[in-house]
Amino acid sequence: MSGIVCAIRGGPLSQPTIRKAIETAKSDQIPVHFLYVVNLDFLEHSEQARTQVIQQEMREMGEFICLKAQIEARREGVQADIFIREGNVTEEIIALSRELQAGVVVLGRPQTERVSNFLDLKRLEKFVHMLEDETDAKVIFPAEDQG
Amino acid sequence: MMRRLKKWLFLPSLALAAILLFSIPTTSGQAQAASTGAVLAGSVFDRQRQAVQEAIVTIQSPGASPDEAAGALQAVTQADGSYLLPIPGKLHGDEILVIQRTHFQTLEIPLALGIIDRLNAGEAVHMEKVVLLRQINAAFWVATLIFVVVLALIALGWLHNTLSALMGAALIFVASYLGPLVRADLFIFSFNDALKYIDWNVIFLIMGMMIVIAVVERTGIFQWLAFRAYKLSGGRPWLLLPILMLITGVASAFLDNVTTMLLMTPITVQIALSMGINPLALLIPEVFSSNVIGISTLVGTPTNILIGSYGKISFNDFLTKLTPGVLIAFVGLIFYSYWIFRKDLKTEADEDMQALLMEKLEKQAVIREPKNLKKAGWIGLAMLILFVTGEHLQMLPSVTAIIGATALLVWIRPDIDEMIESVDWTTLVFFMTLFICVGAIQEVGLIAFIADWIAGLVGNNLLLAMLAITWFSALLSTVIANIPFTAAMLPVIGFLTGNITGAESKALFYCLSIGSGMGGNGSLIGASANMVTAGIAERAGYPITYAYFLKKGFPALLITVGLGSIWLLIKFL
Repeated sequence: MSGIVCAIRGGPLSQPTIRKAIETAKSDQIPVHFLYVVNLDFLEHSEQARTQVIQQEMREMGEFICLKAQIEARREGVQADIFIREGNVTEEIIALSRELQAGVVVLGRPQTERVSNFLDLKRLEKFVHMLEDETDAKVIFPAEDQG
Repeated sequence: MMRRLKKWLFLPSLALAAILLFSIPTTSGQAQAASTGAVLAGSVFDRQRQAVQEAIVTIQSPGASPDEAAGALQAVTQADGSYLLPIPGKLHGDEILVIQRTHFQTLEIPLALGIIDRLNAGEAVHMEKVVLLRQINAAFWVATLIFVVVLALIALGWLHNTLSALMGAALIFVASYLGPLVRADLFIFSFNDALKYIDWNVIFLIMGMMIVIAVVERTGIFQWLAFRAYKLSGGRPWLLLPILMLITGVASAFLDNVTTMLLMTPITVQIALSMGINPLALLIPEVFSSNVIGISTLVGTPTNILIGSYGKISFNDFLTKLTPGVLIAFVGLIFYSYWIFRKDLKTEADEDMQALLMEKLEKQAVIREPKNLKKAGWIGLAMLILFVTGEHLQMLPSVTAIIGATALLVWIRPDIDEMIESVDWTTLVFFMTLFICVGAIQEVGLIAFIADWIAGLVGNNLLLAMLAITWFSALLSTVIANIPFTAAMLPVIGFLTGNITGAESKALFYCLSIGSGMGGNGSLIGASANMVTAGIAERAGYPITYAYFLKKGFPALLITVGLGSIWLLIKFL
């Protein structure tokens, strides 16, 4: 295993994911690669002309969010680096995992209200299988009590 | 290929801007050449006392032969509703004055014998003003339906705003050109008539300002200012909050709110995270401030640009008659923001981490293009002087914007392709097609009916009209896009201004500005700036839900619109 890919977005909901990635990295003695994906889909209906400048600002924000996670990891003695990518989140997770030959991918646990029914859980399961097939990595989530 | 094409389109369009702007007629008076001999003159208005242009005025004789009828005398009314009909020969005595216009009932007025005698004697006769009544026909319903569909598509986000308006304009032309093959009364207006409804002053003003913004946004000034605000506050959130609100507001007063928030949001998130506070406690007040202070100048928001151009309200008028009210509302907004975010503004700083994060921020928040910023500053100052003094030179704000933008491009010599890509052409097309959609409902008389309805509600009471316009537009702006709403309301406000005693001060236009601008704070979808702020905040892990924004924003609407209304009432009553 050459490390853990941990895709984060920042904010309180990402904290359990970051913690899980750091804990796993610490116990397995492997590095963690924090990934932030710049996605400007929200500009689709308005300011497309501004995307070039905004992309740069969003990259800076992503770096900042990952830097915060990196500092936390280093405090725990875990080696951590930062990757900022642009585009679709799933595609970028797959691409980075393949690139780094990551053994583990840590994803944020979807909010309970979003997986409230059987159908959504099925969909999530399918997504995890797809990700594991595409990356050859094990996909893990933070424990329920962690978020 | 596309870039090259855009480049070729861009430079001629700047030149065309100047030509078009200088060719915009400044007077609407009588344009028809007077003829010698007998002349019948008069003017035609609608029920809302608005001049009816392009009505065909003819003199017909019931006893005339088909040849005589075919060669009947004819005149067309001008922009001020006037007509001048030369009478070259003798009249029989049974003539009728016939006034016809699409979407109006045909009016037939038998000419009195006295008038016929005077015309036969070679005199000029001035008829009394006549009123043409609207006709509700198939075109009325089609144009109304198209406009409602366009509004719904924009509000629901099913189609891009520009595509929605473009589709509306296309459907209007389908109805006008193919519709008459099925029913003659499906005709709304011709392509040439549609173009007359496009306000080129608005289009070129927006285009000029977009070029200026494209230069300024690359300099890093927003990031630098936000970081300086942090330094100035000494890391105290209670002090940082009003400083950031003020910076965002002042920037929004001169640049567009969406760009301001797009640039302020990422840096604000980073500052908040470094300080260990919830970023929403800074972001939400910033976007409130952007929506409120944004309306303090003529160029601050597209709605103000529309209002200023239609109502012929100058940059100075906005500064003297609206800005004080906006500042009062802003003070109220600061206190309100403190109150609602008092708990979130407490820092939970981890000093070691804060030091590391601040180090990164300091490196990042630098002026990237100092020379360009300096040049943009000088040009901006010159533009401000021209905006302020322009009214004395009969210089439209769009002329100032085009001159300023061109001067900036010539001085800075940026990559012209990049500049062209920075101009939001889709927004410009949105405005052009929106003007056509609004023109269609104006043409068929829907606007006149709405104006009549509002006039019936408020009567001749300016106070009631001011309150109704302010609050109606504020509440409606929380659910529908304020640009099409404002564009549709302008002819209504124009009518009310001409018909309510005291409204000639243009008070109702300022009411519309406050309502449609500050009303944007009432809900997440109330303003584009809210949406982009929410988009970035969500990507930083701090989602802003509709309910959350409504809870914080609706009281902000009540406070700011309330304070703004009080100012307008004091100023204009």
